Amino acid sequence: MGVGAAELYTGVGGLELGDGGEEIAARSPLALFWRRFRKDRVAMVSLGFVVFLVIVAFAAPLIVKILGLSGPYVQNLNLSDEFGSPLGPSGAHPFGVDQLGHDVMSRVIYGTRVSLEVGILGTAIATIIGVTLGTIAGYYRGWVDTLLARAVDVVLSIPILLLGLGIGAACAVRGCLGGAVSPGTSVIIFLIMLVNWTIVFRIVRGLVLSLREREFVDATRALGASDARIMFRELLPNLIAPVIVYATLLIPLNILLEASLSFLGVGVRPPTASWGQMIAAATPIFNTAWWYMTFPGIALLLTVLAFNLLGDGLRDALNPRTAR
Amino acid sequence: MRSLRTMVAAGAAGALMLALTACGSSSSSSSSSASSNGLVPAGVQTPTSESLTGGKKGGTLNVQQTEDYEHLDPGQSYFALDYDVMDASQRSLYSYKPNTFSLATPDMAEGPAEIGDANKLITIKVRKGVHFSPPVNREVTAADAAYALQRVANPNVANPYYPGYLNAIEGMKTSKGGPIPGIKALDKYTLQIKLTEPQAAIVVASLVLPYSAPVPEDYAKKFDAMKPSEYGNHQVATGPYMLKANAEGKVLGIGYQPGKSATLVRNPNWSASTDFRPAYLDQINVSIGGDPNVIGRQVLEGSHMVQTDTPASPVLKLAYQQHKSQLQISPGAGSRYITVNNSTGPFTNVNLRKAFWAATNREALDKLRGGKLVTDIQTHYLWTGIPGFEEAGGYPGPKVDYNENLQGDMKVAEKYMKLAGYSSGKYTGSETLQVVGDSSAPANNVAEATNQTLKTLGFKTKLNLVEHTVMYSKYCGVVSEKIDVCPNVGWVADFGDPQAVLDVPFNGELIAKNGTNSNYGLVNHPKINKAMDEAAKVVGEKARGEAWAKVDRELVEEAVAVPYEWGKQPSIESKDVSGVGQLWNTGIWDLSYTSLK
Repeated sequence: MGVGAAELYTGVGGLELGDGGEEIAARSPLALFWRRFRKDRVAMVSLGFVVFLVIVAFAAPLIVKILGLSGPYVQNLNLSDEFGSPLGPSGAHPFGVDQLGHDVMSRVIYGTRVSLEVGILGTAIATIIGVTLGTIAGYYRGWVDTLLARAVDVVLSIPILLLGLGIGAACAVRGCLGGAVSPGTSVIIFLIMLVNWTIVFRIVRGLVLSLREREFVDATRALGASDARIMFRELLPNLIAPVIVYATLLIPLNILLEASLSFLGVGVRPPTASWGQMIAAATPIFNTAWWYMTFPGIALLLTVLAFNLLGDGLRDALNPRTAR
Repeated sequence: MRSLRTMVAAGAAGALMLALTACGSSSSSSSSSASSNGLVPAGVQTPTSESLTGGKKGGTLNVQQTEDYEHLDPGQSYFALDYDVMDASQRSLYSYKPNTFSLATPDMAEGPAEIGDANKLITIKVRKGVHFSPPVNREVTAADAAYALQRVANPNVANPYYPGYLNAIEGMKTSKGGPIPGIKALDKYTLQIKLTEPQAAIVVASLVLPYSAPVPEDYAKKFDAMKPSEYGNHQVATGPYMLKANAEGKVLGIGYQPGKSATLVRNPNWSASTDFRPAYLDQINVSIGGDPNVIGRQVLEGSHMVQTDTPASPVLKLAYQQHKSQLQISPGAGSRYITVNNSTGPFTNVNLRKAFWAATNREALDKLRGGKLVTDIQTHYLWTGIPGFEEAGGYPGPKVDYNENLQGDMKVAEKYMKLAGYSSGKYTGSETLQVVGDSSAPANNVAEATNQTLKTLGFKTKLNLVEHTVMYSKYCGVVSEKIDVCPNVGWVADFGDPQAVLDVPFNGELIAKNGTNSNYGLVNHPKINKAMDEAAKVVGEKARGEAWAKVDRELVEEAVAVPYEWGKQPSIESKDVSGVGQLWNTGIWDLSYTSLK
C-alpha cells in the first residue's frame, strides 16, 4: 500500500496509557518509535540482517580468513574440469568457484561491500541534496520552486540505464572529462544520486509547502528568525521521519540498480567482486555451474528484501496510522 | 568463435580474412578424452573424415545461428558465416573442397593459373557453360571475372582487405574501381592479370576468396554506383544455390531479412556438369538470432538442423558427453595471442616480453576457452595445415626457455626480468599498463587471468573490458590509443598460405596508422620486416613454407606476442543430418555438401 508524504508526518511527541490504564507515561518520539518498531518481528529480523550485512562488509577480510577461504581475488586456474567448467561446492569452497578459480563465497562476502557502499552512500548523497533543494523550493516557492521543479522534470526524463550504458561505452578505457568519469563505483553512485535526489526532493517539497503554513513557523518568523534558521532548525526536524523511511526504501532500489549496471558491464571493474557482475558472468554457464549465479543471487535477494521490510517497519513505527 | 571471426572484420583494413586450414586431425585418433595437438577425440567428426559423396538428395535443411551475416556481397564479405553462403551461391575462380585448406580446386577457372613473365603475369581460363541466376541468365565470361576483381577497389564496395593481396596488380593501388590496366579479359574466356612486382603466388592464392566470383557488370554497375553498393541486395548467383529473390533479382526482404532469416533455394541455371559440388539439398532455411543455449539444444534434440556458429559451452559439453556423433571438431581454426605493445611503453624491452611469455600459464588460458577439446596450446605463430608449420617447430614449438613450460615458469620469468634490468625480478616502473580485453565470455576470463599474470610480475595495470567489436575498432586496432596489452586478439588466415597468417599481424610496414590496424602489437622490427618482404617473393609451397617458418622463428625470438591458443572449432548437427564441415572455413557446415539422412 502506498503512503502519501503527509501520512508520514508524526508530530513531536505523545502520551500513552499504561497497560492497566492506571498510569499515563510521557514518552519521547524516539521512545515511542522504538516501542512500536520492536513489536514488529519482521522488521526486527530485517534490521538484524542489515546489521549483519554491515558487519560482514566491514569485517570481510577477517571473515574470509576465519572461514579459511581463499581470498576473492585469488585465482586458481586448476579448479575446473577438462572443459573449463568451474568446480562446484566443496569443503574448501562451500559456494564453489568461478571459471578463474575464485572462491565464490569470498566474492559474495566482498560483494556486500560494493552493494552497501553504493546503496547507502548513493542514497545518503541523494537524500542530502533532495532534502536541501526540496526545503528551499517548498519554502521560497515562486521562481525558485519553478526552476527546481523543472530541473527535476528534466532529470526524470533521462533514461538512467541508457545513460549508464553510454558512459560505459564512451568512457571505458581513457575515461571522459579528462579521466574524471570512467565506469566504476563512483559513476554508479553518481547515477544513483542523479536519479534519487528528485524523489526525495518532491516528497520534501510537498511537506515543506504544508509545514511552512503552520503556526510554529509563523511564530518563529515573528521572533525574527532568518529563513535559514526556519528551514533547517524548525522545518527540517519535522522532515526526518518521512525522509528516513523513504531513504530506507531507496537503498534496496539502488542496490538493484548497481547490480543491474554491473550486470550490463557499467559497474565496478573486474576483478572487484560485485553481485551483479557475478550474476552476469554466471549467465552463460548457468546450466553447468548453477552455484555461480545462485549464491550471489540469494545474497542480492535477501539484502533487497531485508531493506524493503526494514523500510516498511520504519514507516509503520514512525506513523502508527498506517497499517499493513 | 565469435571473437576470432569478428576479429577478421575488425582486422579488415590491413588485409586478410577468413580461415582456411588443413588437416592435422584424424578420425583414427583414439584418445578416450578430449585430446590435444590437432587430434580429435574418437567418435567426434572432423572435416577430413567426412564423406564428400553419397549423400541423399532432396529435403530442406534448417540452419540455426545466433549471429547475423555481415556482408552478403562477394566483393565485401570476410566473415565465416558470410563465406558459408558465398561458397554455396558464388563460384570464385578457385575454391577449396570442404576437407582441405591447402589444395585449391579450379572452380570458375577451367584449370590452374598460368604464371609467366617472372611471376608478373597471370593468365586464367574461365570455365565455359556457367550461367548467372535470374534475372541475368546469360553465360559467365572473363569480363565478369575482371569486373569482380576491379570492383573491390570501388569505395562503394569498400572491400577491406584486397590491398594485402592485390596491390601488386598494375593500377590497383590508385584505382577507385574503374577499369584497372592490370586486369583484362583478353577474350570471352581468358582473364589476364599483370603485376608490377613478382608476387603472382599471393595473388593467385587469394583467388579462392569470394571477391574473385564473377559479377555481371551490365547488371551490377547501377548497384555499385550507390554508396554503399546495393549489389549484395540484388546479387545473382553462379553456384548451386541462390538467395531467394523476386523477378527483378531483389534479395533484401525476400531471401534475406537482416537479423531474422535467410532462404537459399536452388539456382535454376546451375548445371551440375560444370561444378564439383554435389548440392544435395533442395532448400536451406536460416534462422538468425536466439539464445545459444536454446538453439544448441534444439539442434541436438531436433531434426534436420545444424548450428553454424559456435555452440555455447554448456551445449558443447552436452554434445561431447551425450551426442558425440553429432559433434564435429575442426582443427586449425586460427590462433589467439596476447599482444604487447612493441613500439611504446615497457614492452619495447624484449626481455620484458620474454618474461611475460614465460610467466603466462597458457594451459590455463586454453582451459578457460573450453579445454583440450576445442584448443591446442600454441607455441608459435603458424598453425597446423599451413605450409611451414612443421619447419617452424610443429606443436612443441621452438625450443627457447620461455616457451618450454606451458603452465608458466616464474623462475624463467624472473631471469628475463633481471635481464631487463629489474634486479628484484619484479617490474618497478611507475607507469600503469592499459589492458583492454573483450567483455564477453570466455574472453573476459582470459583477460582477467592475463591481468593477474602482469600483476604477479609487478606491473601496475588498468584492465578494461569492452565489447568485442569495440575492442578492435576503438582500442587494440587503433595505433594512436597506444594500448599496452590486448589479451583477446586473434587471427584467421584467408587461405592456406603462411603469408596470410604472418604478414598483416606482424609486419611493421603494414601498420595502418589511420583506420583499423591489424598489427595489434605494433610489431615493427626491421629485420623481421625485411625477412617478410623476401619471403613474400618466394614461389612454391615448400619453399614458401621454409621461408615463412624462418620468419616465424624470428618472431618467437623477438617474443612479439604471447601465443596461447590454436583453435579447434566445434559445430553441431541433428542426428538425421549428414553434415560436412569446411576445414578451410573454421569447420562451418558446407551447405553444398551437407545432406539429410
